[in-house]
Amino acid sequence: MLRFVVRRIAGLILVMAGVSIITFVLAHLVPVDPAAAALGQNARDEQIAAYRQQLGLDRPVAEQYLTYVGRLLRGDLGTSIRTRRPVADDLLDFLPATLELSLAALLVALCFGIPLGMAAALRRNSWVDAFVRLLALAGGSMPIFYLGLLLIGLFYRQLRWLPGPGRLDSTLNPPTAITGMYTVDALLTGNWAVLQDSLTHLILPAITLGYFSTAVLLRMTRSAMLEVLSQDYIRTARAKGLARPVVITRHALRNALPPILTTIGVTFGSLLSGAVLTETIFNWPGLGRYATTSVTSLDFPAVMGVTLVAAIVYPLVNTLVDIAYSLVDPRIRIQ
Amino acid sequence: MPSESRTLRSSLFKRCGLIVLAVVAALWLAACTAAGPAAAPAEQPAAEAPAQTSAGEAAQPEEVTRENTLIYSGDATDLITLDPAVVYEFSGIQVAGSIYETLVSFDPGQPGIKPLLAESWEVVDSGDMWTLTFKLNPKATFASGNPVTADDVVYSWGRAIDINKSPAFLLIDVAQLTKENMTAVDAQTVEVKLPKTVSPQVFLSVLTFTTAAVVEKAVVEANLGSDMGESWLNDHSAGSGPYVLDAWERSVQVTLNANPNYWGKAPAMKRIIIQNVTELANLQALIETGDADIVKDLGAEQAAALEGNPDVQLVKGQSTLLIYVGMNVLKPPLDKAEAREAIRYAINYDDITTLLAGNGQVVQEIIPAGFLGHTGETYFAQDLDKARDLLAQAGVSEGTELDLLIPVGPAPGGLEWSVIAAKLQSDLAQIGLTVNIQQTQQSELLNIYRAQEGQMVLINWGPDFPDPDGNVTPFTNYEAKSIAWRNGWDNPEIAELGKQAAIELDEAARTELYAQIEERVAHEGPYIMLYQPLRTYGLRSNVTGFVFDPVDTPNITFANISK
Repeated sequence: MLRFVVRRIAGLILVMAGVSIITFVLAHLVPVDPAAAALGQNARDEQIAAYRQQLGLDRPVAEQYLTYVGRLLRGDLGTSIRTRRPVADDLLDFLPATLELSLAALLVALCFGIPLGMAAALRRNSWVDAFVRLLALAGGSMPIFYLGLLLIGLFYRQLRWLPGPGRLDSTLNPPTAITGMYTVDALLTGNWAVLQDSLTHLILPAITLGYFSTAVLLRMTRSAMLEVLSQDYIRTARAKGLARPVVITRHALRNALPPILTTIGVTFGSLLSGAVLTETIFNWPGLGRYATTSVTSLDFPAVMGVTLVAAIVYPLVNTLVDIAYSLVDPRIRIQ
Repeated sequence: MPSESRTLRSSLFKRCGLIVLAVVAALWLAACTAAGPAAAPAEQPAAEAPAQTSAGEAAQPEEVTRENTLIYSGDATDLITLDPAVVYEFSGIQVAGSIYETLVSFDPGQPGIKPLLAESWEVVDSGDMWTLTFKLNPKATFASGNPVTADDVVYSWGRAIDINKSPAFLLIDVAQLTKENMTAVDAQTVEVKLPKTVSPQVFLSVLTFTTAAVVEKAVVEANLGSDMGESWLNDHSAGSGPYVLDAWERSVQVTLNANPNYWGKAPAMKRIIIQNVTELANLQALIETGDADIVKDLGAEQAAALEGNPDVQLVKGQSTLLIYVGMNVLKPPLDKAEAREAIRYAINYDDITTLLAGNGQVVQEIIPAGFLGHTGETYFAQDLDKARDLLAQAGVSEGTELDLLIPVGPAPGGLEWSVIAAKLQSDLAQIGLTVNIQQTQQSELLNIYRAQEGQMVLINWGPDFPDPDGNVTPFTNYEAKSIAWRNGWDNPEIAELGKQAAIELDEAARTELYAQIEERVAHEGPYIMLYQPLRTYGLRSNVTGFVFDPVDTPNITFANISK
């Protein structure tokens, strides 16, 4: 297990080196001066030249890359051209919001995707199955922004059951930052008003972001369950007179889990990228919105920071999924 | 496989399941109990001991409720600093301008400069210099309760000059202020010696800007850090204005609390929340539901949808921007004045008014409405015969191609840049000119424009400071290396008129000079001036005292608003 983790980490370093080179080169291929872009059209030439110098943009690209990597190795992601703060500070501000949203969306996908998928498999070809499959079809085909606008329009503007855009009501102060995730921090500090408000703010964006994953997970669970349910050992277990719930959870679901776990891993990665749209619609101050603003303002230290984070998250989640395999299915050994 | 680990794992699964169940239950509970957006009363502001209240007034801070909180929502993505010496972005100026005060200021919606921290000032001609003497208001205090002194003023200006970030050129180049030519004569008196190349009027205009705002020297000095207090001032404040900074949550909102020690009239709103909301649909929803009290820069679609809503009032604010086309004199056939004039006569300005649908007005001059020197003249109306004659005089043949560079996205006023470009294209086609539209990111477009590489460029301009000179110098002075330079247009005669107008003290004479300049630039210059956009604000119907003044800093005075 340890060797496996070490190997994965080594791979991660390679991936990051590759990603940093590619993003760096891409950023420098854009024929635009980020310093001029940051200072706007009224800036004088001397000001732009001074800012270019301050950012080190006047030096050769290779030297700039080496400086960049040198700083990276010391854990310094550089300074954002637009916000003029260290990129690491910006990421620390915005990453927890995205993680919180993605985890909540994953929770939605798990809580609805797996049970509904199971129900559909157990009642194959019944009305339950038809309904669930319809739900999956809608989830797979409805664009995120459309669903988001629909939910805001209905539950916020019309019915007023749920709060509108943002992470927290603007009159409330955010909880003391521990993880940066408002719900978790509010829970840890016992700030109930904030906990309740941040949870209600999470519902609509989590459903919006999680619906697509729910649909994917639901379909995967259904087909995996169907396959397992037709196996001989299920018939044997039933024949032994085991209670139905025991057969379903211990024997059927347990064996259907590996493909489902793979799907969860892949889905989590797509949640992070889907967060860009959801964050825009729900005014969620996360990494996705930070990334879009940074891209449009040619803030490439920030863009590279976001890319590196994404480059870490994907392999990390995959590693976690691989480890989870061995927990679920003892026949799988990771080496 | 040992059964022990199996039970362990299965119980682990059960526990995980329990946690999931608990979280789901919590989510549901929260969903059910929250009937509508939480209107929980906000926490009381950090109750700092009110220091030195004058005349024994009990500065007991009133409790903050939703009723005395003003929520102002709009795109505040540009917010990068709250330090008055550094801030140069619309949102930042709005915030810093509510915390810090300047010596003089504009009266929102009224012409003329009025006293603020300085109760009076005097301009004396001392031969080769102007001497300006400012008397500070003895009542003026900082939020800490300490008096505002001449020492604080000189320190603040010197600090902005030393930091030398984006807005510093206003003090250094435009106002020609140096650390040597300003002195604190006594605690209440500031003296500035200005070279005669700068007009005292322009100097006073610059002084209304946040860059010239006064910070409390002792407080800033105590928190200098490695950047002269710049980052400290992003999360704390040291001003004398009606509000103090409570918190800036990056990319989310800025919260301001009423300054309990404010030396002027106490503001009605005890808390101001400036919320960053970028989606127009969200702004509409926020003002409809009343979750925001004011939303800024609604799109035409949202404004139309809100029209007739009894809970919402729509207010138009004049922006200082001008949308224009620069015609590069270095690129034939635009080197011929007749060709440029022909193009201006070919355009149907009435159609542009129609396209704007009330979100802007056609302006054919380089000084925007609301500024001294704006004439409101209509120099051009579409005249295709005249345009064709002029084109023939210039020797431009039918079918000549012109490249028009335009930015992507919407232009100020809500119109897409591409719609304006298409309009120009079809108008010019009528006189036999073929326009090729090239659309690109604004940053790339500016690169090309700055390098004098564009042939025709459609873009906007906003003055750096609220004075006609903020437009006239860039539009007329080739040496300023701004707009005139970008279009390769060098007319020393008009540039000289501009310099004279900038330092003219007599208002009537100044207006007259600008009228001359306006007319000459309209016909001789390299520009097609198109329009000045309006911005639309949505206000809840109970909001009063809202004035948007494009000349004032900040544009909106929160302290005058009540509801």
